[in-house]
Amino acid sequence: MIPALEVRDLHFRYPDGTAALNGVSFSVAAGECVGLIGPNGAGKTTLLWHLNGLLPERPVTEPDATVRVFGLPVAATNLPQIRRQVGLLFQDPNDQLFCPTVFEDVGFGPQQLGLSGPELRQRVAQALAQVGLQGYEKRAPHHLSGGEKRLVCLAGVLACEAGILVLDEPTSNLDPRSRRELKQLLRQMPMAKLIATHDLELVAELCTRVVLLDRGRIVAEGPTVPVLSDEALMLKHDLECPHILRHQHPH
Amino acid sequence: MQQWNLDTYSPRETIMHRLPAMAKLVGAVGLVVAVSLWPRHWGWYLLIPTGLLLLVTVLGRVSMRFLCWRLLTLEPLVLGVAVLALFQPVGEGVGGGGWRLAGFLMARCTLCLVTMILLSNVTPFSELLLVFRRLRVPALLVTTLALMYRYLFVLVDEAQRMKRARQSRSFAATPARRAGPAVRLRHSLGSWRTLATVVSQLFVRASERAERIYAAMCARGWDADGGGVGGGGNAGTGRVP
Repeated sequence: MIPALEVRDLHFRYPDGTAALNGVSFSVAAGECVGLIGPNGAGKTTLLWHLNGLLPERPVTEPDATVRVFGLPVAATNLPQIRRQVGLLFQDPNDQLFCPTVFEDVGFGPQQLGLSGPELRQRVAQALAQVGLQGYEKRAPHHLSGGEKRLVCLAGVLACEAGILVLDEPTSNLDPRSRRELKQLLRQMPMAKLIATHDLELVAELCTRVVLLDRGRIVAEGPTVPVLSDEALMLKHDLECPHILRHQHPH
Repeated sequence: MQQWNLDTYSPRETIMHRLPAMAKLVGAVGLVVAVSLWPRHWGWYLLIPTGLLLLVTVLGRVSMRFLCWRLLTLEPLVLGVAVLALFQPVGEGVGGGGWRLAGFLMARCTLCLVTMILLSNVTPFSELLLVFRRLRVPALLVTTLALMYRYLFVLVDEAQRMKRARQSRSFAATPARRAGPAVRLRHSLGSWRTLATVVSQLFVRASERAERIYAAMCARGWDADGGGVGGGGNAGTGRVP
């Protein structure tokens, strides 16, 4: 079966010479939820941007492709299809919400896909209903709370009907209630998910598998509980075992 | 966190807000053009547009205090233009000299400013963008306006955060009233230097954010050659949803 996402020996160096990714290889099966963890500066965001073709700035040609989405190489010629399949949720909602109203922002992706009129309105309403923000269409992004902004971002990604959700720190700056709501939503979504986060409790609760990245290399990969419970491994890479696994019951 | 607003009254529901955005835009531009071309010898008749604007203020339930404050922030520019008029040669048959001309110019500029402030406060900006699109204003310009409006608030928030961060670590006391000019000058120079640092940092942060916004747009299929923001890009056709 073709994996939803396949990365093979991915290397990336920033223009200033900093090596960000050094031979990263992993895959995500269709419907699987994988956690991407690692300390600050490990290369998580850089890796996520490769999955959507945002990096490298000059996309590779097809035969050189090291990233494949549902078997399709992430290459210059395939970028529209790739971006339709990979829904990327940015770390800072203010980067992602660039339209003057919620309706326009959620409808931005579908519009780029050619939707308009009643079809577009229906798609936007559907996406907003999925995240529980019915009736928010006319609101301006700068009048929303942090949690609402995050949900609108998610609605914008869902409106594109992506096959894979790639989430960059989805729970950062969220209060416990917003975090809980987001977690419930993610749990209900059937598509493949790759969640880059420092929120290891979230990873323990949602992800079946974990990829641990440090200094641009994958240093551990496997089922969530054994990897996150390995205290020595966690400490070595500036992480900590999540509370939920230490005590075997959530607080 | 948001404490600053450009169009505080635009989300309200009044008779003025319910009027079509196109009518309001055309009316406002018409009024600005008329006031700009107003003959000097009809100076007192400027009371007519003034009354009209007062009516809009009342019907749109825009606070007079808010209007005056917003005017005060913009008035120095008008004042600059009016002061220049003081030195203009005055034509024959016009009494009152440069002062009268300056007053007339100030009145006209102020009315234009009030018109624009009222327009932005009785019409949501997103509706104005839709009108621009309908009027076939170039998509790139509408996109630029939409992004500018959206990120103005983010930038102001960012500037306020930086200001607070700076204040929280500003330990130098303000010089006493009786302090000598040298002390005052040193303090003033230090403040300006800090302000310059903040502004340059803000510029760097804004340009970094611009790169991330561009990435976010591309991530959702934006085509740099055609798509638009604000009023609907529609895969480069520029059609309104």
